Amino acid sequence: MKNLKNLNVLIFVLICIISLILPNVEVTKAEDIIIYTKPVKAVSFNHKAHSEDYGISCNICHDKIFQMEALNVEKSNDFNHRSFSKGKYCGACHDGKKGFAMDKQCTKCHIGVKGLNTKAKK
Amino acid sequence: MMQKKFDFDKLEIELPDSISKIERRKFLKMGFAITGLLLGGKILSLTSVVDKGYAFQKEKYPYKPHYSMLIYQNRCIDCELCMEACSKTNQVPSYGYRTTILQRKMPQAIDQQIEFIPVLCNQCNRPPCVTGCPTRATYKDKRNGIVMMINKKCIGCKTCMTACPYNARYYNEEKHAVDKCDFCYGSRLSKGLTTTACAEVCPAGVRIFGDLSDPNSEIFRMVHQLERTIWVLRPESGAAPNVFYTRG
Repeated sequence: MKNLKNLNVLIFVLICIISLILPNVEVTKAEDIIIYTKPVKAVSFNHKAHSEDYGISCNICHDKIFQMEALNVEKSNDFNHRSFSKGKYCGACHDGKKGFAMDKQCTKCHIGVKGLNTKAKK
Repeated sequence: MMQKKFDFDKLEIELPDSISKIERRKFLKMGFAITGLLLGGKILSLTSVVDKGYAFQKEKYPYKPHYSMLIYQNRCIDCELCMEACSKTNQVPSYGYRTTILQRKMPQAIDQQIEFIPVLCNQCNRPPCVTGCPTRATYKDKRNGIVMMINKKCIGCKTCMTACPYNARYYNEEKHAVDKCDFCYGSRLSKGLTTTACAEVCPAGVRIFGDLSDPNSEIFRMVHQLERTIWVLRPESGAAPNVFYTRG
């Protein structure tokens, strides 16, 4: 009888732990539009358009160019245009051949603080 | 008051012969003055103004140094680091600004549909704010052409704010005076630094600050190129601004 009670407690604790871990383990789908705020505010990246409309398969970017976790790349110090021009990060595709060049049409990606604020309101 | 009486029957009819040469000349002169022919085609261009374009006149940089700014409009990404740096350097409160960024949306445009336009005080050569100020609290500095403020003279009538074609002034409640951009003269230039806070911090190289009277300066070389289109905001105000815009 005592053993059974202990077992019940054990199961309860286990369920508690699993329910805590599960949401973190579960694969979360990336948001349609990812907004970068570092190193400058703010850059909009349309993940949905890139993955679905343009037909780019996941393995082209992940995990070699960008890690799976969104915005993780903001932590690296060389996430800037200087690296892009060397073919890193966005520059891997946006070289003027595969994707549009990065020295023109700045506001196609750069939505600025104003863009960030309007997105936040929505 | 007595009304002057006209005897209409006795009035002479004005025929071309009855108008004297001098009178005719006066009338024509007035007409020319109105159409701008006498002013070298400045109002309604009937004569060439090619060599009168502002940046190409010879004796137009009356100051030494003649501080000026060139803005690459297409480079601005609205990161607003310039605004942050300005507020920090010049203690600008949250309700006002010395420089800000405007945006223009063009939904029907191909490719990029939005453009950011940084604006600040244009340090005009003929500043309407200085003309409007009743107490001479704002003045054009004779050494470097910067439009400055004397806070203790300002009575807060805000005439200058109304007069400014660029909306570059705000009333600072802490200073009890109107505040404006002084090209960081008070906070930086007078202390030996050579550029403004906004130009220094800009990551995209939008703002080029320099001395327009120095033929070796970057801004002089960029502004005086025939190939490059240079414009100013609100040229019709006649204020002769010193902030130039370009793309590229």
